[in-house]
Amino acid sequence: MIDFSRVQKELQECSKDIEASGIKVTPVSDNLVHLTGIIPGPVGTPYEGGTFRLDITLPDGYPFEPPKMHFVTKVWHPNISSQSGAICLDILKDQWSPALTLKTALLSVQALLSAPAPDDPQDAVVAQQYLKDHQTFLSTARYWTESFAKTSSLGVEEKVQKLVEMGFPESQVRSTLEIVGGDENMALEKLLSS
Amino acid sequence: MQNQEKCGASCEFDDWSNFEDEDIMQQQSDIKAEEAQKVPFVADKEPLSALASEYQSGSPILLEKIKVLGEQYAAIRRTRGDGNCFFRSFMFSYLEHILASQDQAEVDRIKAKVEECRRTLQSLGHADFTFEDFFALFLEQLDNVLQGNEFSISHGELVVRSRDQSVSDYVVMFFRFVTSGEIRKRSEFFEPFILGLTNATVEQFCKSSVEPMGEESDHVHITALSDALGVPIRVVYLDRSSCDSGGASVNHHDFIPTPGDCPNATSGSTETTIPFITLLYRPGHYDILYPK
Repeated sequence: MIDFSRVQKELQECSKDIEASGIKVTPVSDNLVHLTGIIPGPVGTPYEGGTFRLDITLPDGYPFEPPKMHFVTKVWHPNISSQSGAICLDILKDQWSPALTLKTALLSVQALLSAPAPDDPQDAVVAQQYLKDHQTFLSTARYWTESFAKTSSLGVEEKVQKLVEMGFPESQVRSTLEIVGGDENMALEKLLSS
Repeated sequence: MQNQEKCGASCEFDDWSNFEDEDIMQQQSDIKAEEAQKVPFVADKEPLSALASEYQSGSPILLEKIKVLGEQYAAIRRTRGDGNCFFRSFMFSYLEHILASQDQAEVDRIKAKVEECRRTLQSLGHADFTFEDFFALFLEQLDNVLQGNEFSISHGELVVRSRDQSVSDYVVMFFRFVTSGEIRKRSEFFEPFILGLTNATVEQFCKSSVEPMGEESDHVHITALSDALGVPIRVVYLDRSSCDSGGASVNHHDFIPTPGDCPNATSGSTETTIPFITLLYRPGHYDILYPK
């Protein structure tokens, strides 16, 4: 049974210092089981300037079991799957503790963006590139940040226009792009399947 | 964490869920459920002979030692081997002692200590809401084992609650908070011991070996918990080591908190303190022992 009063307290606490941390947690549904997390890309990394969205699901045993998190925004990082957004981070698995919170977990994810661990990869392709061709890694990561993690950039309007031209209603296009974190192909897939 | 093979495979599916992690977690919870079938969090009291029968075809040294153990101890109460056995044994043993002794002075003393632990966590930067539920649940159990009020519980109810995950795990986590707080508060004292165990810093050790549920306890944890709450703990060691003097003997170690803090200490003399909590340690596991 999820401890909802605790989740409620966590959300309040987190909203107190959005200004300082830039980390946001908001419920997707009213039942507090499904949440969305936002973390700003750390300064001085190829993720700087990006806004990264994560999907968070709380398991029944929360806070005794770790929250399930994955990136919705596409990200190029050795410990994050470029395909699924799955995150390889110990505190989200066996090193989770009820002493941690959604906010501290998201801070750890943000720290992971600053300090990749390519020897313990989630995405082997990215990890290989990180180790063997670091320049290409940096520019790919930067390019992905520009393309997928900057929803406010001009790119979005172009994507909206493109998808609207395909015949989807604009409001639906915008909300779908929002959900998938600005990824045009994923938005298209979602629009086609809905 | 994942290895490369896992990643190679995960790149093949397009689905957004992480199948393999889910599988692993499912498997782990199945294993835990299987373990739960064998021993509840806190089992029934058994005569010490139950321990001997476990080793009937085993090491003669152990059988000899169990015989020696039988001279001083009457019974054993097993706890589940889920990595929380030290904290769970301590919880039950302490609350059972208060239930039996109705020692109001000891309850007042430990409550003051719990308040100190709360301030320690605050000063270490923990937000109150991250630990207050765990503290509240422990204090509630403490009040409930004292008789004479409408929320008083019987020994049977204490056993039931200790087996109820929604009470038992919260109290275990309370002790983990207290232990972690004490270690970090006195990091200079604990650092050399931690370096002897792992390569981690004090901070890393607390994050990876104290605060997560299911992480096993070592003498560092026991020292910290005993000091933080001011409760002496006796640990009796049952292992295969033999002594040169011929006859088998069973070693024990008393964890005695700093003088002045422990309930039975008289005028600062720690030698006369006899812990009311006695745990049996077999490599990797703690159970509760009952003296004769």
